[in-house]
Amino acid sequence: MNVEATGLAQTPFTGRKKFSFKSVLREAGIGLALVALVIIFSVTTEHFLTANNITNILTQVTINLVLAVGMTFVILIGGIDLSVGSLLALCAVVAGKAISLDVGVPMAISLAVLAAVLAGTLCGVLNGAISAFWALPSFIITLGMLNVARGAALHISDARTIYSFPSEFNAFGSMTFYGIPVVFLVALMLALLAWFVLTRTVFGRLLYGLGNSEEAVRLAGHSVFWCKVAAFTICGFTAGIAAIIYMARLNISSPIAGVGFELNAIAAVIIGGTSLSGGRGSVLGTLLGAFIIGVLANGLILLGLSDFMRQMITGVVIIVAVILDHYRAKYTRS
Amino acid sequence: MDIVQTRETSHRQADKMDTQRDISPDILCVRELHKNFGGVKALKGVSLALRAGEVHALVGENGAGKSTLIKILTGVFQPTAGDILLDGQAYKPAGPRDAKFKGIQVVHQEFNLLPHLSVSENISFEQMPRTRLGLLDRKEMDRRARVALDAIGLLDVDVRAPVYTLGIAHRQLIEIARALQSDSRILILDEPTATLTDRETERLFKIVAGIRAQGVTVVFVSHHLSEVFANCDRVTVLRSGETIVTEDISVTSPDQLVAHMVGRRLAREMAQEKTTTEPGAVALSLQNFRVEKSPYEEGVSFNLRYGEILGIAGLVGAGRTELLRGIFGIDPVISGQMLREGVPASFASPREAIKSGIGFVTEDRKDEGLILDMAIAANVSLAALEKVSKNGLLNRLAELSLADRLGSMLKLKSGGLSDRASSLSGGNQQKVVIAKWLARDPSVLLLDEPTRGVDVGAKAEIYAIMRNLAQKGVAMLVVSSELPELITLCDRILVLSDHRVQGEIPREAFSEEAILRLAYQRKDQGTKK
Repeated sequence: MNVEATGLAQTPFTGRKKFSFKSVLREAGIGLALVALVIIFSVTTEHFLTANNITNILTQVTINLVLAVGMTFVILIGGIDLSVGSLLALCAVVAGKAISLDVGVPMAISLAVLAAVLAGTLCGVLNGAISAFWALPSFIITLGMLNVARGAALHISDARTIYSFPSEFNAFGSMTFYGIPVVFLVALMLALLAWFVLTRTVFGRLLYGLGNSEEAVRLAGHSVFWCKVAAFTICGFTAGIAAIIYMARLNISSPIAGVGFELNAIAAVIIGGTSLSGGRGSVLGTLLGAFIIGVLANGLILLGLSDFMRQMITGVVIIVAVILDHYRAKYTRS
Repeated sequence: MDIVQTRETSHRQADKMDTQRDISPDILCVRELHKNFGGVKALKGVSLALRAGEVHALVGENGAGKSTLIKILTGVFQPTAGDILLDGQAYKPAGPRDAKFKGIQVVHQEFNLLPHLSVSENISFEQMPRTRLGLLDRKEMDRRARVALDAIGLLDVDVRAPVYTLGIAHRQLIEIARALQSDSRILILDEPTATLTDRETERLFKIVAGIRAQGVTVVFVSHHLSEVFANCDRVTVLRSGETIVTEDISVTSPDQLVAHMVGRRLAREMAQEKTTTEPGAVALSLQNFRVEKSPYEEGVSFNLRYGEILGIAGLVGAGRTELLRGIFGIDPVISGQMLREGVPASFASPREAIKSGIGFVTEDRKDEGLILDMAIAANVSLAALEKVSKNGLLNRLAELSLADRLGSMLKLKSGGLSDRASSLSGGNQQKVVIAKWLARDPSVLLLDEPTRGVDVGAKAEIYAIMRNLAQKGVAMLVVSSELPELITLCDRILVLSDHRVQGEIPREAFSEEAILRLAYQRKDQGTKK
């Protein structure tokens, strides 16, 4: 609505920061949807609200949450990263090679973690630097990276799955803390860190700015290039972390892991209310989005629906979420 | 002031009598129109009568209700109360398409062109011509576009050219050509001259006179009173959602209109003259400074001193904006020298220019100046984030207090500093852009069209801010297409043409004629590259 109509120009100047219902409405809406799903599944299925199943859901949500947190950074600046699924495979394969080295268990595990994180981060730097330097759409660059990373993963591993990791490593994957999987806590910490970076740091502020108007940020004297590179780097980094969690959970590292994971991560971010065109959204939304996908998948299995039905329903949920977001954005704007 | 008030009421009465007596038919009659948006009353009783074949000016500050009125007339909004008669029949357009069908066309402030389509595709977009086989008839499309462009004298535009390759001024004229192409009875021009140079404006008004002669009624919305007086038959003033008065141009005066528009509050501020301060040391010195597009070896040379407001005048394409962008390190400089306080400087990026104490209030507020979706406070701190952060961590309280301090200094009117910048009126948005740079205490400020799309009241306030800055010793370089603006503000004016300085005018010799003479003059010397 235009200013003439709202009469805001006539309102006196106040420096007071008001609590605004509208500002929390975005997340509140997604939270309500999640609560509704939980209630529905609790009522319709016997096992949904059991400790075991909750642990299950948290485990299932973990990898998507990690990837979605990284994806939030990229989507916030109006980009997209299609390569994270393949990156996960590449990182897992590299880490699988490292962990099989005969250097003692603690050393091998450290090397594996380092290798995975490094591989993911480097690919992220490449994604960001190439698309930012030549001002190319990240859709295409990361689509290229999707193939490069998958090919590299298959090449390095000779298309073979690497098995049998040290039991200490495996234990980390199934360890729980008061029933909460430790890997999920890692993901949650990552989300918390991301929330802090996005809302409390200069860098986070610039990312929101970039998503809205790149030129305004550039003309205010900030380096657009490095901000973009950093966003993609963070996304690559989370692919490395996700790869470690994947390996620890399944005790394998496979070059065909993570196919389609990027789409789940993007779906979580979008359901969480982050705008695909950038500049608007939050990590809290992404967290809720990842949970909606996870709870939905779990609940539908418990309901005994086939895989195909599940896929269809998840698709419908994504579409409905975006339509709802359209109205929410309209309401919070006016 | 009291005199103005009584005049105002007497005119209102006179006007009422006038409309009662009137014999020439009103083509459109708006009666007591109200429009509420939620609890906000945008229109609180607007009445307007348009005669067939007149040019009727609609003036008023931003927020007076002009845009809302236009949107109701063109079917975008439905009125809350009141009625509209078109040829004596009730007129209730269902939507913009219906309004067009009934002969009411509008050329908006914001461009509605599709940048990657050609001129002819844009012009025919509402009704694409087809061949007998139902395919797109490109030849017919080009022919229609040619006719439409020729009709308004745009002979120099290639109809096959994509719109994004054309300048803002040409795009505006193409919009007008498009609107005129369909049969319109009432053509509403919403600030058509905001982006045009004087020559283009002149061309536009010739066109307006032409269509008026064909019996089309033209509604002309403008902030430029000189244009209203030169081209319109009658004028209606809106203020705070109400019709204040409708007058014949021949019996009113610009001062009187301004008084109607702003009420009594601003007369003094508007009248304030620039007090010249003794200029200080040279802040910025350019010698044969050339940006990429500059065709001549000699480029631009001048000295800008602290405490001085130097105006840059010139036609569109004279290289005014390009000059500022070159200084600020946005566009590459191909030759010549720049001295910052006597020391050679060349800025590879805006970052370096900013570090050396320069700020740049850009012409394009919406894309370059502000991040509309972000909070006002975040916009204010955008160029000075290091002042409100420590080790990369933002201090929100420091940010709010910075915005608060600058906001009250610039008399910013907002609902709250955490509101989005998009919630502000044009004038207040511009104040936020200025605040963004003042947050850094710049010693040199480049301003490109600082009051574009800003209403009369906010304009006066922005002038006052600039004068105040000059007194504090800030050096300012102001590009403006509004000559009265340059004449009010500046100590000196440089006139550019073809990326060269055509001449310099000292304050004593300021006049629109002097500036225009230089702007249109072509230099013969100088080697073209």
